[in-house]
Parts: sequence; C-alpha cells; structure tokens
Amino acid sequence: MSLIDALPSPSFKRRPWHPNVVLLCLSGAMLAAAWLLSFVSVAPNRIVSGTAFGMVDAISWPGAALVSLLFIAMAALSSVPTSRHYRAMLGIIILILLLMPFGLMVAGHWLVDPSLPQARLGIGAAYWTVLFVLLLCLVELRLRLGLSRWWPTLLLAGVGIAWWGCAALWLDRLALVQEFQAREGQFYQAVGQHIALVGTAVGVSVVLGMLLAMLMRRYQRLQKIAFTLLNFLQTIPSLALFGLLLAPLAWLAANVPPLAALGVSGIGNAPALIALIAYSLLPMVRNTYIALEEVSAETLQAAKAMGMRTGQRFWQVRFPLALPVLLEGVRITAVQAIGLTAVAALIGAGGLGTFIFQGLGQAAMDMVLLGALPILILALIVDAGLGALADALRPGGQE
Amino acid sequence: MIELSHVSKQFGDDTAVEDITLRVAKGKFCALVGTSGCGKSTTLRMINRLIEHSSGDIILDGQAIEQYDPVKLRRRIGYVIQSTGLFPHWNVARNIGLVPRLLKWPATEITARVEELMGVLGLPVGEFAHKYPHQLSGGQAQRVGVARALAADPDILLMDEPFGALDPITREKLQDELAKLQARLHKTIVFVTHDMDEALKLADHLVVMRDGRIVQQGTPLALLQRPADPFVESLLGGLERGLKQAALTRVKDHMTSLGPTLPAQSRIPADFSLRQALSMMLRDHCDRLTVVDQGDVPIGELSLRRIVKEAQLDKVSQRDA
Amino acid sequence: MTRNSATVSLPNAPSIQWFLPLIWVALLAMCIVGMPLLEGLFRWVEPDARQVVYDRAAFYELLGRHVLVVGVAAVVTIAVGVAAGIAVTRERGRDFLPLVGQLASLGQTFPPVAVLALAVPVLGFGTLPIIVALMLYGLLPIVRNTLAGINDVDATIKEAAQAMGMTPWQVLRHVELPLAAPVILAGVRTSVTINIATAALGATVGASNLGDPIIAGIVNGNMAYVLQGALLIALLALSADSAFNVYQQRLRQRLSAS
Repeated sequence: MSLIDALPSPSFKRRPWHPNVVLLCLSGAMLAAAWLLSFVSVAPNRIVSGTAFGMVDAISWPGAALVSLLFIAMAALSSVPTSRHYRAMLGIIILILLLMPFGLMVAGHWLVDPSLPQARLGIGAAYWTVLFVLLLCLVELRLRLGLSRWWPTLLLAGVGIAWWGCAALWLDRLALVQEFQAREGQFYQAVGQHIALVGTAVGVSVVLGMLLAMLMRRYQRLQKIAFTLLNFLQTIPSLALFGLLLAPLAWLAANVPPLAALGVSGIGNAPALIALIAYSLLPMVRNTYIALEEVSAETLQAAKAMGMRTGQRFWQVRFPLALPVLLEGVRITAVQAIGLTAVAALIGAGGLGTFIFQGLGQAAMDMVLLGALPILILALIVDAGLGALADALRPGGQE
Repeated sequence: MIELSHVSKQFGDDTAVEDITLRVAKGKFCALVGTSGCGKSTTLRMINRLIEHSSGDIILDGQAIEQYDPVKLRRRIGYVIQSTGLFPHWNVARNIGLVPRLLKWPATEITARVEELMGVLGLPVGEFAHKYPHQLSGGQAQRVGVARALAADPDILLMDEPFGALDPITREKLQDELAKLQARLHKTIVFVTHDMDEALKLADHLVVMRDGRIVQQGTPLALLQRPADPFVESLLGGLERGLKQAALTRVKDHMTSLGPTLPAQSRIPADFSLRQALSMMLRDHCDRLTVVDQGDVPIGELSLRRIVKEAQLDKVSQRDA
Repeated sequence: MTRNSATVSLPNAPSIQWFLPLIWVALLAMCIVGMPLLEGLFRWVEPDARQVVYDRAAFYELLGRHVLVVGVAAVVTIAVGVAAGIAVTRERGRDFLPLVGQLASLGQTFPPVAVLALAVPVLGFGTLPIIVALMLYGLLPIVRNTLAGINDVDATIKEAAQAMGMTPWQVLRHVELPLAAPVILAGVRTSVTINIATAALGATVGASNLGDPIIAGIVNGNMAYVLQGALLIALLALSADSAFNVYQQRLRQRLSAS
C-alpha cells in the first residue's frame, strides 16, 4: 500500500461556488450607469436642449444611497444563486421600477423652476440605461426561474399601469407628459389608427398566407413562383413601396368612383394597408408553409391508418400541431408590421409615426419620444404576448 | 509504458470509475472490455487527459501525467474513435497529415509520411488522397482514422471501439489488419471494446470492467481458463469458453509425432488453431488429423482425445510465429 | 424547396449562378449612368412634373453613400455578432448564452424607425443614427446563425480535434469556424439584404443616400423619383443577395453534401 492511499481523496471537494456572472455584471453596470450618466435634464422650454444633472443633484444623498443600496443588494443576491434569491431579485426589480417615477417627481420638484411655465424635465441617459438593463435582468431571471412568458408580461403591465397613474397625477413637469397633454386627443387617435392598421394588415395576411401556403403545398410550381415574387418584394424598401402605391391608387380613386367611396385614395390608409399586407405576406407564407410541412409524417400516417380523411387529417392533426410555429410567424409578422406602420405615417396614414416625423421636423425630441416609445412598448408587448401564446400551445410543454 | 494506480473519476456525485490499477507494458496490446457504461471509455480518455482523473496516479513513461502539457501530450498519442471524427472539410491527405502539421514538420516529410501510411493501410494514394470523408465507405473512413492516429509515429495508440460501427465482414478484415500492423510496429495500444471475441483475438492483456471497477485482468488464455466470477464467465461465452480457448492455441503445440499407423485423411496446417482442428474433425467425422507444415509435408498427428486431455494442462502458446 | 439543378454539377465545373450577380451589377451600373436616358419612360409615368429624373444629387454619389452606410454597419455587426456568438459558446462564456440570444432577438423587435428616431437626440442628424439602427436590426440574424452554426458542429469531431492535440484556439479556427461558415454566411446575407432596404429610412434623418429620391418623390408627389430610388435599391439588394448566394454555394460544394 503506497503513500498515495494515505492522502485525502480530492473527490470530496464541496461543490464549487458559482455566482450568476450575468446578473452580477448587469447589477454592476446599473450601479455605474446611475452614478456616471446624467439622471435628468432640465430645459426652460420646448426648443432649447436642457442642462444635465447627475443623480446626487437630482435626488440628493439619501436618494442616491437608496438606489445604490438596491443595486448592491442585487449584486449580493446574484453571488449566491438560489431560487429564493432569484425571487428576491425579482422583487427588487419591481421595487426599482415602481420607484422610478418617484425619482422623477423628486427631481422635478427640486430642479425645475416653478415660475417658468414652459420649463420641463427630460429623462436622462441613466434612466434609460437602467431601464434597459433591468429588462435584461428580467429576461435572465425568467430563464433561470423557468417562468412562462406570462409572468413578466403581467408584472410589466402592472408596472406600466402604475407609471401611467403617477404620470397623470404628479409628473406634469415631465417633458413627455407635457407633450402628451398638449395633444392628448391626437395621441389616442394615433394609437388607435396604428393598432387598427397593424391588426388589419396582419389579419388579412394571416388568412391570405394560409390560403397561399396551402395552395403552394398542392401545386409545386406555384411554390417557386410565389417565393421568388415574395422575396423580390422584400428587397424593395418599405418607403418605396408606400410611395409607389400612391399614384396608382390615386388614379384608381379618380377613375373608379365606387372605390373612392370605399375609402381608396392616393394617400392615407389604402396604400399603407396594401403595402403592409404585401410585406407581411412573405414571413407569413414562408412560416405557414414550413409549419404545415414539418408536421411529423409518422403522426399523419398513423392518422391515415386509423381511417381519417384528408380534410379531417388536416384540421384535426396537421393544423393543431403546426399552430405553435404558425403563431411564431404571426408574432414576427406583427412586430414587423408595427415598425412598418410607423413609416407609413410619411404618406399620411396616421399612426404613431406622425409624432416621430413631426418631432424630427420640428427638432422637438420629446415629441419624437412620444411617438417612438409607445411603438417600442407595443412591439414588446405583442412579442411577449404572442410568444407566450405560442409556448402555451406547444404540445408537451414549453421549449 | 502506461501505468494506472488506484485511479478514480467522479462526475459530481456520480462515480464513473473507481480504483483502477493496471499496467500496460511497452509494445503490448491491452483491451478494456465490458458492457455499456462500465467506465472503459472514461478510463481510456483519462490517459490522454481528455478527462482529468479525480484521484490516483497515471504514469506515462515514468512521468506523472499532470506534468505533461495536455496539448503536447495529445500530439504524442494516437486516438481513434468509432465515428472516425475526420474533418469533413478536409480531404483524406490533409486529415492524415493533421498532427505532423501541428508539429510543424516540413511539407515534404508530411507528404511522404501520408503516402507511406496510405500504402500501409491499403488506401491507394492516387485514388483516395483527394477524396473527402463523405465520399468514403465506413471501412475506408476508419482506415483513414487509423492512418491519422499513426501519422506522427506515436508510441501509444488509444482506440475507442474503432470497429463498432462497421459491418461484420469489414470489421473482421480491419481486425486482422490491425493485428498484422501491431506485429510490425509494436505500438503500445489501449483498445476499448464491448465485443469479447474482438478482445480475445487482438489483446496481449485483457481487462474486464464492470460498474467502474476492474473485475479481472490477465492474458486472454488465463481468463479463459480461470474466470474470476460468473460475470466474467458469461462475458467469455459461458459454455463456449472451451471453443474460445481452443481458438487461442495452435495445433503445433498439441500435436504428437507421427506414429506407426496410417496417416489420417484430413490434413491441417500446423499453425491453425485447435478450434479449427475441432471443426475439421466434426466436418470430416474423424477423431484424428494429420498435421502438415507449409509445404504440405506431414509432421505430426493430432487426436481428439489429446485435445480434450491437454486442454486441462496449462499450456501457454506463443501467438506470433 | 426545389434544389437548383445548376448546382448539382461536377466538383470542378463552375456553376451557372456565377452570371447572376454580374447581371444585376451590370444593370445597376447601367441605371446609375444611364438614368437620364430613360427619361421617356419616366415621363410616361409622371407626365405633369417638371423634372422626371432626380437630379439634386448624382446617383453614383447616393449609391456610394448607401453602400458606405450599409457596409460600415455590416462590418461592425459581423465583428460584434460573430465575436459574441463565439464568446458565448466557449466554456467560460456559457453563462451569457441565453442572454445574448434574447438580446439579439430584442434587437429585431425594436422597429428600426423607432431606434432611428431615438438615436437622433443622442447622435444628432446624419449618417450615425442610421448606422446604429442598422447595426441593431442586423444583429439578430448574424448572432442567431453563429450560435446555430457553432452548435451544429458535430461534438465528436470537436473531441477528435482536441484529442489530436489542437489547442482550443486551433479547434475554433480550423474546425468550428470553417464548419459553421455556411450557416454564418447565410445570416450575414439575410442581415445585409434587409439592411439595404432599411437604410433608405436614413434619408428622413439627413443621411443622404438612395432613399433621397423616394422621400423627395413622396413629398412632391413625383412618382418617377420614387421609382428611380426603388429601382436602384432593389438592384443593389439583388446584386448583394445573388453574390452571397454564389459564395454560399461554393462553400457548400467544399463541404460534404449535407
């Protein structure tokens, strides 16, 4: 027996300490951002750009200490990753999100001169960065805790409502709120138009897409032609397609009165809708085709062997099994449509894009924000919502 | 020379391999045999440090394995796996020349060595050098794999079920070629397989593993004659053990000199195995055979009675001539 | 999808597809140089306008700026995207894998218009905001394809490479990247082709490129302008796409027929 046997066996090591590096880095990044970047900016009126203020100036030492404490707590919790700690971090994140409007409130109270009616508070880079990084933390936590997509969506919806309440009640010094209040009606109308356009376009392209995909599965030659055409359409910039439709539609409206009565005209909704549908068709058709094609051949054979007819096989087996992938296609198409609709504002279709382009034209950045932010939020909600739906419908549980 | 001394490996709470002690002398062929999951592949991969052992010592050529730089170590050890692991985006010649290129051999030497190995492994250079792995059959691909492992002329060769994915005919052919190659090159080979017949055929030293431990090790004949427990015995074929043992002994070691009686009708060459002799006796319905040499000249006799009686005695035969 | 029969050829025969990118580029060059020659055609489309051929800037200048913007964004996105994809598939970076995947996916959820609009206050007007927007939007295909490509490399081949004595860097360079290259290239192709169309939006923030005629056309109600801009961008996109296609096929011919 050699001396080697007398040595302690190294296999009795404790499980090595493994912090969650991702959350650690993100917490550190947020702490750095809060201290180093500008917290808010104060401008005397709409046109002049404001002066930036750091965190300490905006919410004073106790506030800064609280914020730092929260971030340090997150970093500490992420060093020892357990389920409990993850849930605690989730709680802290919600807390920070709810505290954010209060930070703005306090900063507005202290920094904005009440004697200047036009003076306004702008949200600084630190806020945006922290918001973005918090989003990433939520993504990471959702993955580590194995939550479905519903939870974060609901939580964020709740936070969103809380923010809306704060903004309505206390944040009238915020530039964003001032812009909003100046054109409240217009804003709601734009949101409505935007959602209506997206909804219609996606709805139509879902139906058309299904039809086309089914036809393409039956007629092989159609498949090649259709894909080539749709691919070609994608290479035309959206802007151009919108523009190109103006003249033909104007001509149609002028020469075919019934269509004009229906609302077809050279500018506005008609060309926008047509272009949107055209752009939505490729992802929809391609996705639907692949979704239907890739249903397990063995499952379908079994269905056939059990005596199901073609139609029954399609609606009771192939379609339900293809549904999750189909929903993914709808998700991609919808998100794309939300972006494209913003561009459609250039040809008079309304929607949130009008604020963006008007703001760019007037060099009023807060108006741009008023348009861009809701678009982003809409895109995120649709993405998360449809994603959750697709996950829920996936047979055998989530991905 | 490879020496493992009380080597163990844990993956988390799972013990894959425990208290392995074995020695492979230089130039010998060691086979690790066992059922799936018994730890033989794990043991193999600890030798070239693809897996780091948890405890115990592994000593290569007198030095502890930790003292070698892993990358340099692996360039000195040949490695052949079941799926060949050939790079699909390189042709045969480039695949074989991989390690020499890593070792920065001059280009002319590499080309010469590649051609030499392709000749040894039965792959005509003109036909195969520029082919890509997906254009090769299973047997051809594995020959390239072996050539690649031998390219830098390593002393040690590690083989992890290299013939497992081939059809029986190709497998037997490659086994025979490996045996001939080993007879020429005398590499130190550690060979993992779950096929006992393959191990019995090729190995100088046989190691039977189960549940991460060595159950028995020794020469094939020793295991066949005295299996340590029923598990080893069943692995060795249970009742078929006798025939397998006969396959390992040569006729010439059991023949008697020519007697006064008439020579038997059936003739068997001296270097055939006893198993083939038994088969011939069954085929020709006789219990005596005449043993002939390469020139077909009778040099002795072999009787059934002698085979049955002699099998009990410890006659260890030399395998190679 | 049906396989193009032109590609199933002898290993050394050039495939017919070579001609396609050349055709598109030739057409593009012809249009750039000879647009005034098509005045008759445009006048048919837009009989009332005073000017039918866009002349506020030379077409080749606009093309140059367009290519520049897309090119810079592409180079940065490829560098960042592939590097991120590689970093996250290494042992040490594995923790960041899910996050990077989601991040890239988020990049495509943000509509480029919104990103563009938000980039302006930070970066001012001009080419910088559109480059940033293109980078963000083009990141997903590249990152996703890099991850898919590297993960799809057969694990036994990687192990064999390690066992032969290749350092991790050598395994990456000689085995993983070459084998993942076709998939990564497909991602780059998607990213660049989409970005060529999206770059037209830059014209709304003062980045003068091939989107200028389109905007001018929409604002002035001049269809001919819009057509010219759209035509040039489409030709550019088709040239790039078919060039990538040819490159992809050559890569694929070198690898196995998988």
